[in-house]
Amino acid sequence: MRDMSRQISVEPLPPETCQLIDTDGLNILLCNSGGVHYAIENRCTHQDSPLAGGRVRNGFISCPLHGVKFDLRTGEPRGDLARQPVQTYPVAEDAGRLSITVSE
Amino acid sequence: MSEKLAPGQARAPGQARAPGHTYQEAILKDVSEPPAAFLEISYTFLGDEDIPYRNYTSPEYAEAEMEKMWPRVWQMACREEHIPAPGDYQVYDLGHLSAIVTRTASMQIKAYINACMHRGTALKSSGDNGYCASFRCPFHGWVYSLDGELIELPEDWDFPHVSRESHSLREILVDTWGGFVFVNFDTGADPLADFLGVLPEHFKEFNIEDRYIETQVCKRLPVNWKAAEEAFMEAYHVKETHAGGRDFSEPVTTYDIYPKNVSRFIHTVGSVNPRMPVPPGEQELMEALWDRRGHDAGECPQVPEGATARDTYASLVKQKLGEQYGQDFSHYSTAQTLDSIEYFVFPNFFIFPGLSLPMAYRFRPDPNDPDFSFFDLYFLRPRHPEHAPPHPPETVMLDVGDSYTKAEGLGFLGAVYDQDTDNMAAQTRGFKTCAKGGQTLGNYQEVRIRHLHQRIADYLDA
Repeated sequence: MRDMSRQISVEPLPPETCQLIDTDGLNILLCNSGGVHYAIENRCTHQDSPLAGGRVRNGFISCPLHGVKFDLRTGEPRGDLARQPVQTYPVAEDAGRLSITVSE
Repeated sequence: MSEKLAPGQARAPGQARAPGHTYQEAILKDVSEPPAAFLEISYTFLGDEDIPYRNYTSPEYAEAEMEKMWPRVWQMACREEHIPAPGDYQVYDLGHLSAIVTRTASMQIKAYINACMHRGTALKSSGDNGYCASFRCPFHGWVYSLDGELIELPEDWDFPHVSRESHSLREILVDTWGGFVFVNFDTGADPLADFLGVLPEHFKEFNIEDRYIETQVCKRLPVNWKAAEEAFMEAYHVKETHAGGRDFSEPVTTYDIYPKNVSRFIHTVGSVNPRMPVPPGEQELMEALWDRRGHDAGECPQVPEGATARDTYASLVKQKLGEQYGQDFSHYSTAQTLDSIEYFVFPNFFIFPGLSLPMAYRFRPDPNDPDFSFFDLYFLRPRHPEHAPPHPPETVMLDVGDSYTKAEGLGFLGAVYDQDTDNMAAQTRGFKTCAKGGQTLGNYQEVRIRHLHQRIADYLDA
């Protein structure tokens, strides 16, 4: 079966920050929490608003609109407002270089 | 019934003490001088009537507490490091009450009732901790600034009767002590400093504000919130609950009551139990202390000639924790380093300022069932004075059947808390079948339990 995924190279971020990756029609948010990088879809499953600008802490991101929290490792939400997980993407780190794997 | 007093020679209620030395006498034998507050005795006999079981089991009693007491008392809502930056917030829930505690743009801490002024929707989820630039109701999008002001009113043409003055968030009282943020839903309440009584004075040598949260756990308990607290208010249970009835572990304890809201116990760790028929040697005591370090601690050091196990072990603890946390703890006395020092602030906050037992507890009723409660457990470690406190870790949530040993960071205490929880479920069952109608309390060792009930009655009978 043909590999339908592609790699996107990205630069590392300072801890507890996030940055939108908006090239090639993608809407991915790269996050660094505790020195580990995570990539998630930039879309809160509560009301489809962007997660960019949310606070990153302890492996979670808080949506800036209503504060819904998502676990960056699994995408699972916390609290009463959302039920659906947010999409996550694998991030590989090799000698300080990062790449996000996105399935087509 | 060990004390042999002839008929007519019985002491007045509350005057009796365990045979042997007192806590104060025990710590005066330490090589280092204990804090003056540790040497105080502030016990008062508060009566010996049974405490009715209905105080724990009755939904009507729980409702009365919810209506008359909880909205009028200062309660610890969070630590300052839960909300270090503007827009950070922590939700504090107590029964059906809920508050949002937040940091404003000017770094002020404020607290609001967690309900939209439109149709009452809770703005934030129960127990939530997070960040937002403003408080936006998920129902119709009313938006409040971090200062609580109504700043966006969608379709305001339909609300000529609504203004910023009339419909901003309802602010409640907030104040801080020792890095803890307290709230009071009664905006006419007396200041926090009055409520805390002797606490700030007794804690002045502990720098509680320079601690940080290393571990936080929330456990659902199978017992009424008061009985849950009471399990931690006396050391009388230690011998049976935690040591299978063996004498060796029996601590020497002082119990004290301070006006109006504070009580404490302090009990020795690693000193001779005067009730032992043959007192253990210092090396034997040292080995018992050393066992706490687990199997990989290496060989137990020898207690030097003429020294005590307590002093020897305390200096090792100060050295180890000093290296671990990058600080100098040499000024801590043996009692401050080792002993179980537990202060209680009515109605639901416990704090242990000691170096090796560094906990804070908070108990909250389950709003739907008086037979259950929530136990918030924190381990507070000394923060390096030159470093900002780290962000608190996520809370480990434990349900009734979950063992505390599942939570990392509790060390040997995880199994100890499990033993306490087993008693709680058994009490809840017993409360309802016991024909006697109430708990019988020891006059001295269980006086803090009586104090708790008397303070609740002050509010319920007012």
